[in-house]
Amino acid sequence: MTDILAAPATGAARGDAPAPASPTTQTQTQTQTQTQIPAPAPVSPAAPESPKSPEILEAPESPETSRPARLAGLARLGRRVRLGPLVRRAPAVVLLAATWEMLPRTGAVDPVFVPPLSEVLRAWYDLLLGGQLLEHFQASLVRSLTGFGLAVVLAVPLGLAIGWYRPVADFLSPVLEIFRNTSAVALLPVFILILGLGEPSKIVFVFYACSWPILLNTVSGVRTVEPLLVRSARSLGLGPLSLFRKVILPAAVPTIFTGIRLAGASSILVLLFAEMVGAKAGLGYLVQDAQFSFRIPDMYAGIITISALGLLFNLLLLAVERRFSTWRTT
Amino acid sequence: MSAHATGGDTGGETLVNGAAARLGGFRAGAFPRHSPAALAPSSARTPAAPSQVKIGIRDVGKVFRTRGSDRPFTAVTGVDLDVREGEFLTLVGPSGCGKSTLLDLIAGLTAPTDGEILIDGRAVDGPGLDRGIVFQQYALLPWRTALANIEFGLEAKAVPRRERRERARHYLDLVGLAGFEHRYPHELSGGMRQRVAIARSLAFDPDVLLMDEPFAALDAQTRESLQEELLRVWEKTHKTVVFITHGIDEAVYLGQRVAVMTSRPGRIKEIVDVRFDSREGDLRADPVFGEYRHHVWSLLRNEVAAGREQERTVD
Ligand SMILES: Nc1ncnc2c1ncn2[C@@H]1O[C@H](COP(=O)(O)OP(=O)(O)OP(=O)(O)O)[C@@H](O)[C@H]1O
Ligand SMILES: [Mg+2]
Repeated sequence: MTDILAAPATGAARGDAPAPASPTTQTQTQTQTQTQIPAPAPVSPAAPESPKSPEILEAPESPETSRPARLAGLARLGRRVRLGPLVRRAPAVVLLAATWEMLPRTGAVDPVFVPPLSEVLRAWYDLLLGGQLLEHFQASLVRSLTGFGLAVVLAVPLGLAIGWYRPVADFLSPVLEIFRNTSAVALLPVFILILGLGEPSKIVFVFYACSWPILLNTVSGVRTVEPLLVRSARSLGLGPLSLFRKVILPAAVPTIFTGIRLAGASSILVLLFAEMVGAKAGLGYLVQDAQFSFRIPDMYAGIITISALGLLFNLLLLAVERRFSTWRTT
Repeated sequence: MSAHATGGDTGGETLVNGAAARLGGFRAGAFPRHSPAALAPSSARTPAAPSQVKIGIRDVGKVFRTRGSDRPFTAVTGVDLDVREGEFLTLVGPSGCGKSTLLDLIAGLTAPTDGEILIDGRAVDGPGLDRGIVFQQYALLPWRTALANIEFGLEAKAVPRRERRERARHYLDLVGLAGFEHRYPHELSGGMRQRVAIARSLAFDPDVLLMDEPFAALDAQTRESLQEELLRVWEKTHKTVVFITHGIDEAVYLGQRVAVMTSRPGRIKEIVDVRFDSREGDLRADPVFGEYRHHVWSLLRNEVAAGREQERTVD
């Protein structure tokens, strides 16, 4: 959660006018985002706080046919995901769950408005069995992934072009500056007006919201490439194309990924908003609808699912990011 | 304008006395002095005519247009200098006098506003693989391992992959970093990084090695051992080296000639021929070394003072 909250600040601070002290800015951003990594982050086996993890990481693929499948699955997960931080974080989560369970039961909180966790989980299970949950989940996932995917596919190349070609930047900057400062939320009515209440308006809405962090980070990633690296590559006889492919792009990847992760977080955020405003399906709709019809446990079940979705998305992006930047210090 | 006189002298000698130099046994270049074993004139170390001009810098000037000021900024002006084939030339001068600017010009990373720079008699019109640069900061790609960084220098040359790898290994070996192939730059010490950078410049086998204060950021011990390594490589490969440094000791120790620049706008003030009878033992303790050192120091002192004065008036 800290991840999602803290990250946009970095993105906003970077802006499209990159800070002069480029490498530091970049590393700072990076370290910051890296330290925020939630529990299952097998970055390097060097983390001193988790003495258990190396063994877990190195444990051989044991044939666990005898054990129940669920346990085997957990063990495999643990090996990949690193139990150390998970164990460290578990107490807080357990405490939260216990509080949620106890407060309504003791009457400290009105159980009508905040039902105990067990009830919420039961409602969640019912929704799952009934198939509604999957339906809403799928609706939300398809929308946010489509919008997000479009944003990655379009904003990254555009950002590269803006960062690399001065004329493109000069031409587009004023317009981008205007749009950048126009909240996506403010534009939702426009999207609905033009595209109707169906899928397109939501996807475009998500796409729009996701594009900015990706675009701005890509631009700044390209612009803040260490000039010395460029000079040295030129002195080694690299033409503009190989220079771009072999120096600019790899150097910008970490910053681009910061933008992509920010976009991932906002894709879910803005989608929920859209689904609450007008939709027939989706997790946002589920929460809103449950509240309207006073199915309070269902509402919380929806909220939990949303959190899980956000967490999952972020983890996925982190894994991809790590794959692309194994060379980093942290 | 002793600069012009000196530069002219060298040029004249090249044209007129080229043959004489060849016959008379390393008169001007004094090549063998660095390796005692090669002191004998019969040494096969320098097959080419020793005083052939490799880099010709002809009345070169560089003017920068700086943002927010319409007054052009002259970094170097009227620089005349001939660097001979296979020579180790060190370049010293007060900070900001335009040494790096000059090196960039030779490298072809920037173009001169006046005059011209010739490599083997041909005007420079951009970077080329006949010249390798070692920058003051370690310009290694952080996402590539030591080996891959060295290979990077070979990729523009269309060397086949297998050979790239082999050559990279060879040069990593040469700078004493065998076993560190797969380390990323951040996993290497400063001195190791600089050695990788040097290996990269050597790997694509340029005729000319341009080095901009490559050892400035290192501790004395590392610096000395890298100096030794550099001399060893230079003796083995006969490359032409232009080596910028702030260290007078380093300049005298490494250079066959030390070019001293004036304060900005930089030009060549004087070129000091450095010659030792023998490099056996601790060269730095040699009284002759001290004399050269003092000479270069006094040349520089006046320039540094002039530079300070000038900077004060600019502000
Ligand atoms: N791209 C540039 N634009 C404007 N001025 C520049 C540029 N590059 C260098 N200069 C100026 O030219 C002068 C010479 O710079 P240069 O880097 O060549 O000095 P230097 O002799 O290498 O100094 P140092 O020994 O401190 O490295 C300096 O005053 C610097 O401000
Ligand atoms: Mg310099």
